[in-house]
Amino acid sequence: MSCPGTDTIIRTKGLSVGYNKKTVLSLVDLAFEKGKFISLLGPNGSGKTTLLRTMARLLPPCDGSVLINQISLNEFRQDHLARILSVVLTDHVSPGLFSVFEFVALGRYPHTGFLGRLTKTDEKAVTASLSHVNAQDLIFRQIETLSDGEKQKILIARALAQEPRLILLDEPTIHLDLKHRMEVMSILQKLCREKEITVVASMHDVDIAAKISDHVVLIKDGGVIAWGSPEETLNKKSVAALYDFEGASFNPDLGSIEIKANGHRGSVFVVGGIGCGTVFYRLLAKRGFAVSTGVLHTNDLDYYVAMSLGAECITQSPMKKVTQNETNKARLSVRQADYIIDAGFPLGELNRMNTELIKYAIDHGKQVFTLRKTEDARQLIKTEPDNLFVCRNATLLLKKLEIWLKEKNQKLQGRRIEK
Amino acid sequence: MNEYQIEKNLTVQSKRRSLLFVVFAAVLLVSVALNIITGTIDISFSELLRIIHAHDTITTNGFIVWKIRIPRTIAAVLGGAYLAVSGLLLQVFFRNPIVGPFILGISSGATLMVSVVMLTTLSLGLTALAPFMTTISALAGAYAAMTIVLFIAAKVKNTITLLIAGLMMGYMCHAVTSVLVAFAKQEKLKMFVLWQLGSFSGFKWSEIQTLFIFGGMILILVYALSKPLNAFLLGEAYASTMGVNIRVFRFFIIFCSCALAGIVTAAAGPVAFIGLAVPHMARLCFVTSDNRILIPGAILLGAIVTGLCDFVARLAFSPVELPISSITAFFGAPIVISLLIRRKVPV
Repeated sequence: MSCPGTDTIIRTKGLSVGYNKKTVLSLVDLAFEKGKFISLLGPNGSGKTTLLRTMARLLPPCDGSVLINQISLNEFRQDHLARILSVVLTDHVSPGLFSVFEFVALGRYPHTGFLGRLTKTDEKAVTASLSHVNAQDLIFRQIETLSDGEKQKILIARALAQEPRLILLDEPTIHLDLKHRMEVMSILQKLCREKEITVVASMHDVDIAAKISDHVVLIKDGGVIAWGSPEETLNKKSVAALYDFEGASFNPDLGSIEIKANGHRGSVFVVGGIGCGTVFYRLLAKRGFAVSTGVLHTNDLDYYVAMSLGAECITQSPMKKVTQNETNKARLSVRQADYIIDAGFPLGELNRMNTELIKYAIDHGKQVFTLRKTEDARQLIKTEPDNLFVCRNATLLLKKLEIWLKEKNQKLQGRRIEK
Repeated sequence: MNEYQIEKNLTVQSKRRSLLFVVFAAVLLVSVALNIITGTIDISFSELLRIIHAHDTITTNGFIVWKIRIPRTIAAVLGGAYLAVSGLLLQVFFRNPIVGPFILGISSGATLMVSVVMLTTLSLGLTALAPFMTTISALAGAYAAMTIVLFIAAKVKNTITLLIAGLMMGYMCHAVTSVLVAFAKQEKLKMFVLWQLGSFSGFKWSEIQTLFIFGGMILILVYALSKPLNAFLLGEAYASTMGVNIRVFRFFIIFCSCALAGIVTAAAGPVAFIGLAVPHMARLCFVTSDNRILIPGAILLGAIVTGLCDFVARLAFSPVELPISSITAFFGAPIVISLLIRRKVPV
């Protein structure tokens, strides 16, 4: 956690925020430095928007104070504040018949004279703001004809035209498609780096926030539960607590959220490693299979994904050979699993023992699906058993698995009817 | 787009707008001339020029031109301009394209208060204020109605609900007015009914002077507010963070729009739809929502439209004169309906 120093642009002291005396968040003590990207994270209704609106002086604080450049927010004249702070809100904006140029020029408000006539400097600031958000070519389009993503960029350009030191954004990426979501985030990041503007944004995507922010603030249950760098603050436990996750988990190493498998369709053992298993863990979890896997080295991508999906893992330390010891544990899992998938991992000195598991499964009459080429599989197993299906890729393998399951169920049903 | 192209594009745009202003100013002059030339009594063009040049108010024709036609034309032109600006202000204020002083019940509130003064003896003691009584009561009525509408608007954000609330306000004011009319004495009634039909006739030069000076000052104030008005188009939150002092600004908008609607209503009676329709015409003509352009645009267009409507009211069934509201409603109401259907022309 950083101490408020001379670089601190905005700071809250014992701040409580809310509407009509009804407090939503209390005892907020935060300090943000210049040129930093801060994400406010928290479930819907936790008070992120209320906090932002209070920081922008759109709402009076219930208690405590907000300081900008060490001066209390109350003491600013409206137009002075507008030169330091600008906002991008979720309020629906339909200003009417304005070209993008005219609209962004509205942001020059605190800098222009009595009637808002634009000088050369103002015009330059407008075009510069547009180029900062990669929207120069929209300059003479009408606002009403823009898409949501383009409109969001223009709203950011308008905020920039105010030449602020601090921009507050409420859900800047909501309603945007993936392309614009990434574009908006990288624009904001660029503003922090190149123009040393402090960006405070309320966000929903924990994974994007984790990757882009300098600081994250976790807001829940009427208070700030934690804040600091995402690397320190965001972990499996804090994110799960923040959103009351049950069926999903956040993996700080991968910086992503995985949906846990609930396993109502039987269990599958994946013989994986070297990143080959990941696709299967996700596919199987998505389709409702319980997953167990092994033997994985604990520095393997497969290990991280399998763990965050809640799969049972048999592991070995990094750079160590898989030995009989681990294989024995894995054999137990193989025996318990309904089907076995061989992810087709490349063979090396350290994981050669894993091939034993495939042979073991076949010998025990388990249905095995493999991604290896026919000749490789033949070489590996040396026989051509009935209970081995060779598939070209992961999707085909899963398709094969589904078909096989269906046939098996039909047979079972048929037998029941005969009886 | 490079700097040169941007510069060029902006110049083209401002040239186009200037040209449009020149055209509208010319059209206004023509419509003013038309109103002065035509009438139930034929006055030849050369005669007219002589009367104007010689400032002849003694002959019958001179009297007609100087005491009837010219005051009436000026009143219509000013009234139209004020109503249009009043409507524009309300549309920006409510961020709602379908409002105007008449629709929101502000004109009806003014009518009600005027009826109280004209039809009852409540104001008998105030003889000192007698000449201004209509104006004062109209303004009081306008502000009272606006206060109620603001209260409703704070509760509902929906365009249509606000519209209906305004209409209901209008009905209630109308109901009270009707009760007053039922109890009123015959001789008082005639004057009120004539006033209520709405007409720009019978203006004295002194009244025109008041209308011109008072209204003109407010128009200047409104134009001075055009920068915050533009910021307000983005909504209160954005306007506030751009440096607009919302509370002061809200007060000024309401003060100006009610004052403009009030003084016109006091003098000419309730005139429907000018305040609603003209700002839209200005937006469509100038293709912008920039109030620095729209305010002068609405002034010119309001003057032209009302001038022409009054022209039609006088001459369509001459010598019978139609109430001005019947003409303005004829083109105003369809505009409201088309706006409701399309909901495309934004504020």
